[in-house]
Amino acid sequence: MMTVRRKRRTFARRKICRFCVDSDLHIDYKDSKTLRYFVTERGKIVPRRISGNCAKHQRVLTLAIKRARQIALLPYTAIHML
Amino acid sequence: MRKYETFFIIDPDLSDETTAALDNKVQSVIASNAGEVLTYVPWGKRKLAYAIRKRTRGLYVLMEYSGGPQLVAELERNLRIDERILKFITVMLEERFDPEKERERRAQAAVVPFVEDEESAEIPLGGEEEEMPEDFEAEGLMDEEKD
Repeated sequence: MMTVRRKRRTFARRKICRFCVDSDLHIDYKDSKTLRYFVTERGKIVPRRISGNCAKHQRVLTLAIKRARQIALLPYTAIHML
Repeated sequence: MRKYETFFIIDPDLSDETTAALDNKVQSVIASNAGEVLTYVPWGKRKLAYAIRKRTRGLYVLMEYSGGPQLVAELERNLRIDERILKFITVMLEERFDPEKERERRAQAAVVPFVEDEESAEIPLGGEEEEMPEDFEAEGLMDEEKD
């Protein structure tokens, strides 16, 4: 089981932080289009290990997503979707 | 002086006149509390991510202004009282606000709102999306496992 897992991991390419690469890309809670890439269909925040963001940007992003949820730009959860 | 922005949602079913009256009311609250409205941009009607007071759409308005903390308290108090406002969020943009600098900055760059009115604007599919790594699928599975 373990070995299978590790084998799958080996071809995972190096992830890069999109916000570090592209300095034009700002994190803004009002920009739900960009934020949507970093939440799952259920509305959960995608972890850093998956999205590849750096710690600094993940922190900013998390705050932005939470603010976007407050103002109903992003869902807290998919259950309430109509 | 600080610079703030308040992003709020107005009831979408109101008539245009009522909305205009509300716009004036909000701006007058700022004016009467020693603040200055810098921008007032309606973003149009959008679908809400979840229903607020049984409404699934809302008229978003973004307002930037300068003022002190007591202004924000007063503004938020007013927004809470008003039933036509569904929800709002206030974010501090700058700790020290210099009106002169702001004028310069605004002269240089016109403020462009993110236009995302899902009724009128179609979503341009840019190159941005390609970068989504394949791993995202795996992540979706993980989501389900937990239930």
